[in-house]
Order: sequence, then structure tokens, then C-alpha cells
Amino acid sequence: MDSEEEMYDESEEEEVSDDDHNMVMEPEVSSTTATYDSQDETYPHEVLSPEMIVQHMIDCIKDVNTIVELPATITRILLNHFKWDKEKLIEKYYDGDQEKLFAEAHIISPSRRGQASGSSNQVSVSSTTRSTRSRAAATGRSADCEICFSTLPTTVMTGLECGHLFCEQCWSMYLTSKILHEGISETISCPAHVCGILVDDATVMRLVRDQRVRLKYQHLITNSFVECNRLLRWCPAADCGRAIRVNYVDSKPVTCTCGHRFCFSCAESWHDPVKCFWLKKWVKKCDDDSETSNWIAANTKECPKCQVTIEKDGGCNHMICRNQSCKADFCWVCLGPWEPHGSSWAALQRYLHYCNRYMNHMQSLKFEHKLYAKIKAKMEEMQKHNMSWIEVQFLKKAVDVLCQCRQTLMFTYVFAFYLKKNNQSIIFEDNQRDLEQATEQLSEYLERDITSDILIDIKQKVQDKFRYCDTRRSVLLAHVHEGYEKELWEYQGSL
Amino acid sequence: MAGASLKRLMAEYKQLTLNPPEGIIAGPLDEDNFFEWEALIAGPEGTIFDGGVFPARLIFPTDYPLNPPKMKFTCDLFHPNIYPDGRVCISILHTPGDDPTGYESSSERWSPVQSVEKILLSVVSMLAEPNDESAANVDAAKCWREDKSRFLECAQRSVRKSLGIPDL
Repeated sequence: MDSEEEMYDESEEEEVSDDDHNMVMEPEVSSTTATYDSQDETYPHEVLSPEMIVQHMIDCIKDVNTIVELPATITRILLNHFKWDKEKLIEKYYDGDQEKLFAEAHIISPSRRGQASGSSNQVSVSSTTRSTRSRAAATGRSADCEICFSTLPTTVMTGLECGHLFCEQCWSMYLTSKILHEGISETISCPAHVCGILVDDATVMRLVRDQRVRLKYQHLITNSFVECNRLLRWCPAADCGRAIRVNYVDSKPVTCTCGHRFCFSCAESWHDPVKCFWLKKWVKKCDDDSETSNWIAANTKECPKCQVTIEKDGGCNHMICRNQSCKADFCWVCLGPWEPHGSSWAALQRYLHYCNRYMNHMQSLKFEHKLYAKIKAKMEEMQKHNMSWIEVQFLKKAVDVLCQCRQTLMFTYVFAFYLKKNNQSIIFEDNQRDLEQATEQLSEYLERDITSDILIDIKQKVQDKFRYCDTRRSVLLAHVHEGYEKELWEYQGSL
Repeated sequence: MAGASLKRLMAEYKQLTLNPPEGIIAGPLDEDNFFEWEALIAGPEGTIFDGGVFPARLIFPTDYPLNPPKMKFTCDLFHPNIYPDGRVCISILHTPGDDPTGYESSSERWSPVQSVEKILLSVVSMLAEPNDESAANVDAAKCWREDKSRFLECAQRSVRKSLGIPDL
């Protein structure tokens, strides 16, 4: 995967296979954007398929086992206890109280196993069965299963190292119920009263025969492996099922094989230039406020004289302010230019300003898949009019650029919302305005002017515009990143 | 699944009939349906509920004992850990899965090795010692905590009512 990644990064785009042509045709575009999209390259990451995740888990266990030399199933429970932090496990294992460590991880210490079973210190997967048998031999030929209350020959009874025995049928039903109905895997404990000893995966595989349950169990184990491990993250795209692995955690973009590009640190779509912290704050604010602010925006205005918020609940546009000390007459439609000064109103206005633009770009982005379809049809049409395949690829490239610009613009509004005004922020806003204008023009060309018949004209216009947009996007991002490095940005609102 | 549950319920019924714990009688309402039981619980001696006999209903799930039964008093009982509709709220009737935060506290929760007898014994000790930390009936918990004499009065009314003695 790594090599594939690098190959694409050099050509600036991951998803299109025809980049090589563009590379030749538009060297200036590629060279400028390369600095920003090559962040993928500077942040090494690996895409793991579901099978590779399992293999990775096995490798992690093996790694640790070469040092601690415990049975694999015990190592897995220990690793899970330490959230798959190998170093921490090894440190605790050798520096601290091992008995305490095993107790905390809810496992019977391997050193005590031998004593319990009366056999040697042999600890292998089958030792569970062996110890059961030897204990059974000592206590007699049959015993009561405390779950089904049947008296059964001890040969069909089994248990964990804690020594609590139940019949295999009850075990199987107990495990099935935990896995299927409660959806737990790592935290299934021995069914005995006040016994927290955890069930290991070898035991589950030995006692559960139903393929469906075994599959679900493996699924749960893998999921908890990925979720606990800080160096792994599920690809958030719907039904993807792959995970991304990194060597260190950072808020950098990673690209999954499915094409989804997201921030490793927060799993949101890649949100350059704004940082995770502010984006999270913003998303929360939008969730909290959007319903209220939508309603306020749709149904209320404020009195041009006394600033009181007015809800219009009738049809007539002649408004008389109910505020007894004001009683202003005004027209609902043409309030005219008024300077808002109630501070909370101004704050809301400000928020709505950014929110509307953020939402607009997000909305437009959602429509772009339609545009791809439209452009594809147009490209086919153009090829019928004496244009070669290569000659029409600029259209697809243009839509790609349009999407990138919208994505960047969307997050610039989050960035700007929290930004305090200074000279740099003015430059930023100029860049933003410029990019926004150009993007909207490009969008208009692709939406509307594309239907024009003079193909050569369109090509010239579209090509110029998308190159411009691409350059401006790079300039904007470069400026923001320069600001991060030189600490030029000041924020409003609590960090 | 239901076969194993039935077998176990029959075994429990047998045990409860042969060795009934003090102050507890329990068994299926109808021997054709072992999944619905009635229990009679005597108010523990020397406590505020002393002398009362309280009927309750136990409904077992088809995967019993993997999951706990539901228990509901069919009489009026003013108690912090009994909902106004009679449902009993004690930890043994909750599966560990109800609390996704951890298995530490799961020791006192339901597990397949618990039984009807253990549930009923827990209910008896709950009657003797209400737990106002996690109240099912907030009024009762408040009353228990702040106004013991009124609580005693309410408890006595429950006792008399359970015996069919009219209010004074």
C-alpha cells in the first residue's frame, strides 16, 4: 500500500488514474499542490484489510510472547488490559507485582495454575481440559452443574483455571448468549458467583460450535482490538471494514483503499486548514444550535428601532413593535440596513454567517456526485465531436478540483469563526473570498455553461478557472500553515 | 433452549418444596406453565414489615437461567426499592450487561448460578434493610430517610393490607 500511495501522491491526486496526462499538461498545478497533498506521504500509514487486522493482532501477541513467554490466549487478555500498549505491558510485567497484575486483568496467574491442577507447570491451551480431568478424577465420577442443576459425569464438565465446573452444554449456551445477545467478547467472565476470571478465546472456540456465533466472536475481538489500540483506527466510510495503522498518532490525513480520506486523530473528513479541536467544538455547536438558529433565521427579525426580536405570526407586513417604549412602525420585508448591536444578537448573526456558508459548501459537496454523472455524459458527447479521450479529461479534473476547493472552503469557515481579527486574518479572509469567488465561477461553468456548443471556448474557460482555483487553494492552505508554524493566529473562545 | 430452562425450573421447584427457606413459599401458578411463578414472602421478623405476607409474581425468560426473571409484587408495598407498580429493583435481577461500564460490580448481579431461592432471600433482606442510594420509589426513599415515623406508618398499613385487615 505504501508504495502505491507514494506513486499517487507525486501526481497530486489519489483517485484518478489519468493523472499522468495532467502531469504533462499542467506541470504548474501539480507542483504547487504537491506540497499540501503530500502530507499523506510525510505521515506514513498502512491500510489493513480485515484479514490483515487479525494477522496484525496475532503478530502483536507473538511479539510480546517472545519476551514474556506466556500462552497466547493469556497474552491477548493482558494486552487488551493494557489497551494493546506492548511497552506498558512489558514494563508492568517485569517491574511490578505480577500476581497483582494478573488479578487486575482477571486471569489466574500461570504460576498458580500448576498447583491448582496438581500437574507440572505446563501451560498450554489444552491444559484447561487436562486440569479439569485431573481434578475430576480426584473428586469422583459425577458432579452437579450449577446452571442446569443436573448431576453429570465429570467428563462432560469443564471450566476455566478458577476451577468452577459447568457442563459443556451450559457453557456453550452461556457463551452464545453473551456473544450474540450482549455483544461482549473481552469481558465474558466465568459464570460462577463472584468469579471475575475472564474467558479466553481458546475456551470459546473449544466450547462454541455454532459457526455464526464463532464468527461474531471473532468480529467482536477484532473490533475491540482496533478500538483499544491507539495506533489503529477504523475507516469511518460506510461498510468499509478496513483499518488504518500508523506509527504515531497525529492529526494528519490518511487515505483508505476505499478512497475515503480522513483525519487520523479525529476521524472526521480531512479538514485542513482547521484543527481538530476547533472542528470538534464547531460540530458540537452546530448540533446544539442549528435547530434553534434555523428557526430564528426563518421566523424572526429584530425591530429596527429597539432591537427586540420579533416573530411574525400573521400575514400583514406592516409591523408595529409591541415594545411599549418603542412602538416603531416598520415594514417586515424592507427593514433596511440596520446595525445590529444587542451583543447576543450580533453573536448569533456572526455564527449564522459562518454556519450558512459552511452548510452551503457541505450541501454543494453532496450534490457533486450528480455533477460527476453529468460531466461523464458530456465527456462522451464531446468525444463524438472529434475530440480525443485525452482532450476531454480536463472536465473530470475540473470537478475534482471543485470538490477539493469546496471541502477546503467548508473548513475555512470553521477556522475563521474562531479566529481573532488581526492583519494575518485579513489576508486569510481575502484569500478565502478570492477562492470562494473563483470556486463559484468554476461551479457555474460546470453546471451551466457546459451546455454551450462551442467546445473549444468551454475548454479554455474551464481549464483556466480550475487551475486558478487549485493554485489559490494551495496559497490559502500554505498561508494558514505558515501561520500555525509562526503562531500568527489568535483565537476567540476558550481553548 | 426452553427444554433446558424447564428442566432447571422443575429442579428448583423441587428443591424449594423439599427444603423451603424460612418465610418463603414459591412455585408455578399452574403446573402446565413453569415460566410463571407466584411467591409468598413473609415480612422478616423484628423489622418494620414483620407480620406481613406479601404475594409476588415471577416471570421467567425462555433462556433462563442465562437471563434473570422479572419480579413484581402484586400487593401494595411502600418501599424505596420497589417501584410504585410493584416491580422489584435489586441488583441480582439485573444482568451484568445492563451496566456496560464494567464487571467489577457484576459480582452482585445476575449470573446463571443464581437461583429463585437466592433472589427471594435477597428480597427478604431488601425488605429488612431498604437501600435509599438507588431508589425505585423516590417518595418512599425520601420518607425512609427523612421521616421514619411516617415510613413506619406506611409500612404497617402495607402489612395490615397484605393480611386483609382493614385500616383502623
